[in-house]
Amino acid sequence: MSNSSAVSSRTQPPSWPELPLAISSKPVLPAIIALGPAIPAVLNRASQSLQIVNPGPLTNSSGRPQFTKCRSPELETFSCYWTDGVHHGFGSPGAVQLFYIRRNTQEWTQEWKECPDYVSAGENSCYFNASYTSIWVPYCIKLTNNGGTVDQKCFSVEEIVQPDPPTGLNWTLLNTSLTGIHADIQVRWEPPSNADVQKGWIVLEYELQYKEINETQWKMMDPVLSTSVPVYSLRLDKEYEVRVRCRQRNSEKYGEFSEVLYVTLPQMSPVPCEEDFRFPWFLIIIFGMFGLTVIFLFVFSKQQRIKMLLLPPVPVPKIKGIDPDLFKEGKLEEVNTILAIHDNYKPEFYNDDSWVEFIELDIDDPDEKTEGSDTDRLLSHDHQKLLNILGAKDDDSGRTSCYDPDILEADFQASDVGDGTSEVAQPQRLKGEADLLCLDMKNQNNPPGRDAPPAAGEPGVILAEESKARPLPLSETESAPHAAHAPLHSPSPLANIDFYAQVSDITPAGSVVLSPGQRNKAGIPQCDAHPEVASLCQPNFITDSAYFCEADAKKCIPVAPHVEVAARGEPSFNQEDIYITTESLTTTAPRAGTAGPAPGSAMPVPDYTSIHIVQSPQGLVLNATALPRPDKEFLSSCGYVSTDQLNNIMP
Amino acid sequence: MDNKGLSLTGGPYWLVLVLVSSLLLCKNVASVPTCPRGAVNCEVPLGELFDRAVVLSDYLHKLSSEMFREFNKQYAQERRFITRAINGCHTSSIPTPEDKEQAQNMPHEDLLNLILRVLRSWNEPLYHLVTEVRAMREASDTQKALGTQETFAMQEALSTQEALTTQEALTTQEALTTQEALTTQEALSMQEALRTQGTPNDILSRAIEIEDRNKQLLEGMEKIINQVQHGVRRNEAPSPWLGLQFLQKADEDTRLFALYGLIHCLRRDSHKIDNYLKVLKCRIIYDSNC
Repeated sequence: MSNSSAVSSRTQPPSWPELPLAISSKPVLPAIIALGPAIPAVLNRASQSLQIVNPGPLTNSSGRPQFTKCRSPELETFSCYWTDGVHHGFGSPGAVQLFYIRRNTQEWTQEWKECPDYVSAGENSCYFNASYTSIWVPYCIKLTNNGGTVDQKCFSVEEIVQPDPPTGLNWTLLNTSLTGIHADIQVRWEPPSNADVQKGWIVLEYELQYKEINETQWKMMDPVLSTSVPVYSLRLDKEYEVRVRCRQRNSEKYGEFSEVLYVTLPQMSPVPCEEDFRFPWFLIIIFGMFGLTVIFLFVFSKQQRIKMLLLPPVPVPKIKGIDPDLFKEGKLEEVNTILAIHDNYKPEFYNDDSWVEFIELDIDDPDEKTEGSDTDRLLSHDHQKLLNILGAKDDDSGRTSCYDPDILEADFQASDVGDGTSEVAQPQRLKGEADLLCLDMKNQNNPPGRDAPPAAGEPGVILAEESKARPLPLSETESAPHAAHAPLHSPSPLANIDFYAQVSDITPAGSVVLSPGQRNKAGIPQCDAHPEVASLCQPNFITDSAYFCEADAKKCIPVAPHVEVAARGEPSFNQEDIYITTESLTTTAPRAGTAGPAPGSAMPVPDYTSIHIVQSPQGLVLNATALPRPDKEFLSSCGYVSTDQLNNIMP
Repeated sequence: MDNKGLSLTGGPYWLVLVLVSSLLLCKNVASVPTCPRGAVNCEVPLGELFDRAVVLSDYLHKLSSEMFREFNKQYAQERRFITRAINGCHTSSIPTPEDKEQAQNMPHEDLLNLILRVLRSWNEPLYHLVTEVRAMREASDTQKALGTQETFAMQEALSTQEALTTQEALTTQEALTTQEALTTQEALSMQEALRTQGTPNDILSRAIEIEDRNKQLLEGMEKIINQVQHGVRRNEAPSPWLGLQFLQKADEDTRLFALYGLIHCLRRDSHKIDNYLKVLKCRIIYDSNC
């Protein structure tokens, strides 16, 4: 059947415009739209009339016969019911008739037909059997009384499905709880007999409701598709009522309820059970007392052991190396020294100082750490080794939190044992310095120097074996010779520069110029030679500041023979040199032909020396003029000045 | 076998035999092995195809009913259209069985082809339905926002559009993944997935979902037909839909009317297809004994 023919042959329900409007409360819409092939025809016809019918339940106030409902129980037949308005005395009790019309695939049937069966569905009803019923087809029915239409309704059969109630309810006991109070049951039923679920024509959804006999509210369960459902947790000493109803799947309207099923559960043990949930006061008291006892024990117990037992201390990370007593005693210098071990700690006054650069390097190779002192590495030609200098390694590769925990702890314990004063820490430092200054200490992994600690008699500091750079406090470089009893062996060029030598300048060539540290320079081992040097120095100046004056430190420095100077002079201008001390510069100044300060090994060159002439590549010529020193205090704490002092000094 | 032999040597063999036979007996006809993932020429058994198709058609019907209810509540409440009866759906021209007897008397292939035709006829209307509902949503959103500030309203409209497009993208993506599942998953688990997915809860999202599922069901039906008809295809033309002009009318009432009719027809047709498929499933797979 083609569409075009359908359009042409389509006819409207002939009496459609005659159908009176039902009670409508809204203004009419201008158009009715039918979505289908016959749209133009529909529009032409129905453009004026609008059918708006109040779909809500109509009250029978007018006394007319009205449709109450139409219902199909199984999607195969349907019936319509109406109320009889005769009792209100509306006219003569004439015959109420029902007419229907339905739409066949493409068109409405020509005329209204009368109800085929007024009887089977009861009074005031019309029953359409299977032959008269078509699903998915629009029907319209109208009720007439003495020829006049009193009511009309339109619908499709699949919209009015309301199944019959399920039948054959029964229940079985699933199980009972261990306490004997509750039980589960399984309720089963059969679908209504007229619904053809076997052939899949209609699919039903069931809803079960149950309640105790003396209750008023029904408990509802979720709809299920199966014909049996478990009901859980029923009390054994109660009686229950169960009922089921069903509806077509994905529909809204339920059918009627089934008959009520009475569930009487068997009585279990005769022991009367507690009905109500009693608050377990007894348990609460017991546990509360227990808890309180524990708390009291803990709080009031003086014994450390019990406290440890009840509340073992949480292991906290120990920052090794700092004795809390130091804080109490207020020896901040000690703390500074200790903290300086950690690479990250930089004293404040360094921040603004652009002169000083801190070389932070990683130590990758454990082997390299053990060879040579850091100073040695600094001065060595091997640039590679630069990387391994002075670094307190920052990673967590197996080491404990502190850099040299074992050493320092041992040191501090020893120092604690020893004097308990800050001075005690010093010899260890000095000793360490000696190690640093003694260049070959690292080279040979030689701890003999450390075996003879100067004063404290502490255990040797095994530094070389530590696979780290030196974490020792490095400020007191000048004091190194104080502990210079450590035997030194193979020298290395340009060695014996202090561990922390202040960088005075940077040559254009890129070499770093250090402020003069120790006098003993390249070539000749120093450490073994001058134990008597110790006598020259006074240990007390060390206590003043963490960093020492060169001038002061120079006292400790043995006078170097000229040879050394000369020897040193040559390499100092070597391009490979990493460090060039101002001293070396000054010594070679006459060689360069520029006027400069007279070479004097003992001449103190200030740390901050202004550059007189920059002659690349020969180097720099420094002004011999010392910085103005306004106060003596500056002297004593010179060497590394604080920013404030520096600001005072500098113009 | 005498008892002695049974107890000594035949025991284990008997046990195995009993187990295997019990498995075979208890095995449901529908629970046949699924296609392994990635298999090219694997044929999913018909029972499973039907199970999945039924799950989809049931879901489609559910969505359509809910959408109709929602639409009624939101837009048609004051107007109370009576299009139910007047309305002919554009698929009315397809001669589908109208009661149980007709459905039972129709051969499988014919019924399947009719289902396919109906499904195909809905492709275009569903697309326009989604477009129109989305436009309505945006219009109402913009209208609400215009109460405050104009710029704010524009922004909201744009963001709604964005959200809708992403939503559509997500649903399409989801449809694709479920399409894959169609070949490997069992029907029950698919049903479970549909249930737990979180059904869309407004008209637009339902419309989008319906459009996707319709395409899925179409594919499933084609697979079924291929199996049933062994490759013989009848390419029957779907029924055209001529209601687009009314959906695009300027008058809002006209548009709403058209939408109402469309959604009403959608509900009816989805119920029809659902019914046919369930009947066919019971007939073919369970031998009329669901």
